Amino acid sequence: MRKILKIAQREFAETVKTKTFILGLVMVPFIIGGIIFFTSRISQGKGGPRPPINVAVTDLSSEIFAEAKNGSFYNYNKSNPDRQILIHELRAGEDPNAIENEGRNQLRQGRLDVYMLVDKEILRGSGEIHVYTYKPKPSNVDLLWTVENLFRNAVVNQRYKLQNLSAELMDKLRNVAIERVEIGSGDREDRVQSEGDRAAKMMVPFFFMYLIFMGIVGMGQHLISSVIEEKGSRVIEVLLSAVSPFQLMAGKIAGLAGIGLTVVSLWAGAAYIAARWQGLSVEITGELMLYFVVYYILGFLLFSSLLAGVGSICNTIKETQGLMMPIMMVFIIPLLAWFKLVQDPNGTLARVLSFVPPMTPMVMILRLAAGSEIWIGEILASIAVLGITVPAAMWAAAKIFRTGILMYGKRPGLREVGRWLKSS
Amino acid sequence: MDAVVLNSVNKFFGEVRAVDNLSIRVPAGSIYGFLGPNGAGKTTTLRMIMNIIRPDSGDIELLGDRSIDRAKSRVGYMPEERGLYRKMTVAKVLAYFGAIKGVSNAELAERVPRWLERVELSDWADKKVEELSRGMHQKLQFAVTAINEPELMILDEPFSGLDPINTDLLKNIIVEMRREGKTVIFSTHVMHEAEKLCDSILLINKGRAILNDKLAQIKSRYKSNAVCLEAEGDTDFIERLPMVTAVQSENNRLEITLSENADAQELLKALVERVRVQRFEVKVPSLHEIFVSLVGSSNAEDS
Repeated sequence: MRKILKIAQREFAETVKTKTFILGLVMVPFIIGGIIFFTSRISQGKGGPRPPINVAVTDLSSEIFAEAKNGSFYNYNKSNPDRQILIHELRAGEDPNAIENEGRNQLRQGRLDVYMLVDKEILRGSGEIHVYTYKPKPSNVDLLWTVENLFRNAVVNQRYKLQNLSAELMDKLRNVAIERVEIGSGDREDRVQSEGDRAAKMMVPFFFMYLIFMGIVGMGQHLISSVIEEKGSRVIEVLLSAVSPFQLMAGKIAGLAGIGLTVVSLWAGAAYIAARWQGLSVEITGELMLYFVVYYILGFLLFSSLLAGVGSICNTIKETQGLMMPIMMVFIIPLLAWFKLVQDPNGTLARVLSFVPPMTPMVMILRLAAGSEIWIGEILASIAVLGITVPAAMWAAAKIFRTGILMYGKRPGLREVGRWLKSS
Repeated sequence: MDAVVLNSVNKFFGEVRAVDNLSIRVPAGSIYGFLGPNGAGKTTTLRMIMNIIRPDSGDIELLGDRSIDRAKSRVGYMPEERGLYRKMTVAKVLAYFGAIKGVSNAELAERVPRWLERVELSDWADKKVEELSRGMHQKLQFAVTAINEPELMILDEPFSGLDPINTDLLKNIIVEMRREGKTVIFSTHVMHEAEKLCDSILLINKGRAILNDKLAQIKSRYKSNAVCLEAEGDTDFIERLPMVTAVQSENNRLEITLSENADAQELLKALVERVRVQRFEVKVPSLHEIFVSLVGSSNAEDS
């Protein structure tokens, strides 16, 4: 036991010193923060400058174009000087079909970006606005929405006029203010919720799952590079003269699990402080923390035994990548499915994934953090599944590790690894 | 008591028989040499003794214990593939390996500087391992092996890559260890190293023991009936002596071959009566010659 502890200590001390570790420790929150910051900026804000686009309108009703050009489009262009939308009219002659073809041709020639044909009876509620584009760029899709909205506003304004309604009055009438209050357990603990609070409610479960993911997968990378390094520097045989392969593997895994818990606590602490600082209310129960630690440790043991096995049969990091792919895929599924899982934490998908061992910790933490009522029996059953899988994986990994770490040269095939498992 | 006992040990790598029915006893308190050409099975045997790989059949006893893992902390093993943590400092590496070999922290505080002193690396204690030269690296590796002050040292090719000064440094430590009653097993394919150090040797080729005895006994068994002579005076009569079968001369040196049962002492007696003897040597074959002749003939048998 003392030997395992010593190995774990060294693993901890040496990994913490490496540049990759320090970089990862600092960069991960920065990257996550950066992504959140920029996506929120981009989704609500304006994009950068782009060249003006050309929109032509054939207004068969003859009542919309002037309103659009001098009203909604004028206002838009005034507040977006570097994202102009140039709008002009293609007057219909005797034959509406001819002008439509003219519009189509100009689109194909690239002289127009959008061509719109407005039906005659649009103000009276029948007829449509036909919007034509030719090979629109994906980057222009949001622009099409803008053009449509601006034009729709023009139509609605004209309809108001037709009904003798004032546009300002209508805006006033449509505006309803909402105050969202989340009451506390005491009478004086009410707090007004901002929009951000609701988003945070959705993000907290994801954040917890992501912590498990980073803590497991990120630390796993260190485990694999540590095994490969010991193989590469030929220190492994010296180690094996003092400790058994199992002690070596157990020590490494324990050391990195320790680092993982430390890192994850630091990240979680930083995120909590940041959330508080931003005025978001996030509640984390002691119960959730306890489950987090249990699931994290079991998940880490499972993943790292797989990696110890993989690392031991490879000679370079590059060789490990091919074997890592399928393992990583399994871990990515919950990340992809998180939205559905948060919305329906007791649904079939969530329940099934909870019992697929490598995913269990991530999915269970997501469901628990999503605040759903999970029957304690289900929680214990999922822990039991891990409790059976983890020793089995460690047993297999120890066998592969024992033979693999002394093999240099060509990577053994799966069939040969299978033989090692059968041998005593 | 025997430090290491192997009983009919076999090891296959696929079709190749790396170790073939090997039985040896290494007496405690002796220096034991594993000799053999490259690929003879020396490293495989040493690894099996350390339980790093397992024999396919046969059993191994280490320091009187069937459980090798239990005896491990009483053994120091220096593998042929040497390596240490390159990013750690010299003193820390030494302390770390001491710790995982079960040496207490209090003892390490005293032993680490003492062993660094002993292999002349005290000035490098706080340098990183990657800054060491190859020779220094190897001396540190030796200190790592010895840090738990084991009863048994197993050294796989300990002198390869060392300059003569450092080779002597390690040899002196090995001889000192024997004086302290410790057992040392080392493998080499350089015969004169073994000849100077070993009490007993095992000569293996293709996994099979072809010679396994005390060095003194081997030497007497393989002594040839040849004599080397340097003398002043007329030496022509020697050829006609009854116990002599052939004489070869080389300047004033004579190589005399005696007949089967002749005693070299009789020849000496006959010589001193007629000439002034300056040098008289009953030729003993070097280990190198024994090795070459045995390995050569066993290879010839196989082919």
